[in-house]
Amino acid sequence: MILNHSSILRIPRECAIITTMKIRTLIAVAACKISRFALRKIGKGGTNAPGKVILKIYPQVLKVLARNVKTIVVTGTNGKTTTARMIEQSLQESGIRYFANKSGANMLSGIAAEFAMNSTLGGRCKYEYALIECDEAAFKTVSQYVSSQYIVVTNVFRDQLDRYGEITHTINSILIGIKNSPEAIVCINADCSLSVSMIDEITNEVIFYGVEEEIYKERVQEVSDAPYCIKCKTEYEYDYITYGHLGGFRCPNCGYHRPDTSVAVEKVLECTPDISVIQLRLKNNSYTAMINLPGGYNIYNAIAAAAAGVALGIADDVIVHALSSFEGGFGRMEKFTINGIDIRMILIKNPAGCNQVLNFLSNTEVPSLFVVALNDRYADGKDISWIWDVDFEKLTTIQDKLTEIWVTGIRADDMVLRFKYAGVPIEKLKVVKDYDILIQGMISQEAPVYMMPTYTAMLDIREKFSKNFGFKDFWE
Amino acid sequence: MEKRLIWRGIEAEVSNISIGESFNYEDYDIFFIGGGQDFEQGVLLKDLQTGKAEQIKAAIEEEKTFLTICGGYQMLGNYYKTWDGQECEYIGALDFYTIGHKERMIGDYAFACDEADGGMIVVGFENHSGKTYLGQGLRPFGTVLSGNGNNGEDKTEGARYKNVFASYSHGALLPKNPRLCDHILKTALKRKYTDVSLEALEDTFEEDANSYMRERLLTNK
Repeated sequence: MILNHSSILRIPRECAIITTMKIRTLIAVAACKISRFALRKIGKGGTNAPGKVILKIYPQVLKVLARNVKTIVVTGTNGKTTTARMIEQSLQESGIRYFANKSGANMLSGIAAEFAMNSTLGGRCKYEYALIECDEAAFKTVSQYVSSQYIVVTNVFRDQLDRYGEITHTINSILIGIKNSPEAIVCINADCSLSVSMIDEITNEVIFYGVEEEIYKERVQEVSDAPYCIKCKTEYEYDYITYGHLGGFRCPNCGYHRPDTSVAVEKVLECTPDISVIQLRLKNNSYTAMINLPGGYNIYNAIAAAAAGVALGIADDVIVHALSSFEGGFGRMEKFTINGIDIRMILIKNPAGCNQVLNFLSNTEVPSLFVVALNDRYADGKDISWIWDVDFEKLTTIQDKLTEIWVTGIRADDMVLRFKYAGVPIEKLKVVKDYDILIQGMISQEAPVYMMPTYTAMLDIREKFSKNFGFKDFWE
Repeated sequence: MEKRLIWRGIEAEVSNISIGESFNYEDYDIFFIGGGQDFEQGVLLKDLQTGKAEQIKAAIEEEKTFLTICGGYQMLGNYYKTWDGQECEYIGALDFYTIGHKERMIGDYAFACDEADGGMIVVGFENHSGKTYLGQGLRPFGTVLSGNGNNGEDKTEGARYKNVFASYSHGALLPKNPRLCDHILKTALKRKYTDVSLEALEDTFEEDANSYMRERLLTNK
């Protein structure tokens, strides 16, 4: 029998497509691993660039890689990273095998890179779960490739108006992301009237989480990001406000109100500069839980993580334990001790977040040095006008908690103006643009330091600490 | 504005006039109208129709000082047309109109004020999707040196009419443009007290902030 050459060579079309897909996946994944290895060898981060590489090689690669893993997405304006770290602790303590994107690589290319790094060359994920922090504007696009099983929305606040234009754009992006994952269980902050408004347009199963009473005895004066009912534009009434626009909201005209929750903080029992203790309800049971980070904003992060735990079916005692044992992530209230001086770094990026930091700082015991580092690169937000919506005027009432305020970063000049017009005496203000001089100054004085940098300023300063004092690099 | 008056020993009282609250324009010297979100425009329009529009027009004609930013600026014009063709009628105090577009004009920008206002270079931040076109006789607030301004086409920024200063600049506008701030205050003081001189303030921080952004925007072009 003579085999016809053409019949041997004729491959069925489906096989050809699958083979092409597999080859392209292999090349893309390999390229990612090689480029990240190379970039890290030369000390250049290599977090997002490899992702750009593979998306160029094979644009659909993320869809292929995300197919055989269960994905948990954490999105929203504030608290994504801390919430993701808290969920990670639960996963670890449950013995669940997962990978997570770290270090703020939360847009399409960074996420693509992480999926590739954690897949075999054949495109199989090495883990059962993918825990993905996803930028809220990028979620719209990322969700076209990654269909998730669990989505956690932390909150919606006004943030980086240069990127988002308006707050409704943020809601729309998250909404589209959810609609692209119709099977996902969605955890939503019941205290956030903006987040809750999304449920009218989705068919997903929803778990609501929230706080049931005030957190702070004394709060800064805040501009609410959502004073008017999103449905009928009447001004909301509140049974209680936790902060910003969050709390027991109610529209007196159309009846739109805070929904009931299955995961809730029933009582805030204790707030210290390092931790909070709460009475936490998980479905039908109440527990006393310690949260290993301070401040009201971390209470919200904790219950968002707890809601995710409930969605995932993690045992209650594991969820509760994880909140007390996890360690605060990269930049978010990280402590460096240099020359015996404690330097605590708290990331700031928008009025709501910064106001919470001020709330927290007014409860410190010992007079401290405040250092604010304001950059306006893309990742920091190019529009710095948000500093004028933070209640820095409150600093004049806590003068005894402040030794001085130092200001640094690209837009230090604007920042010091903010403090001057807030009423801080000029003698207490200093502009120090050079980071080496700044760091020398911080460690040559006596008071503990609270440093509030925007994102890229935090990276730059952290790199200085790392180079000069040997702290671990940010991608570990 | 309040601080720069108080630091000179000039008493200033700030009142917030909210939705649903009426006011008598004769009781005030300086009016500030800020920006807002497109979503909230509908709430605004209803309130303007309760008599506020007339109060504002009368105040402007009687040379009261106004500083209006972005949405506050737009509503002084004749109308606003959205990108899909819906038109909403505005106060008509100044002769201009605005057309909304899908692309937003966002970024740091700089413009030069008219010589009559002092000719100073103002640095700010714009974030708007509306393109404003001034009527024939309406003077712009300034000439764009970097960025878009009113529409990104004709190099005009904002509008000036009697004692109205209208601009797209967020920023915030006043802190790092202290000479502009003082000029605006002077128009109000002159109207009330005729003989006015504002003592100079220690403005090192302000001028540093201004020159930093001026250099960034206007050199290396």
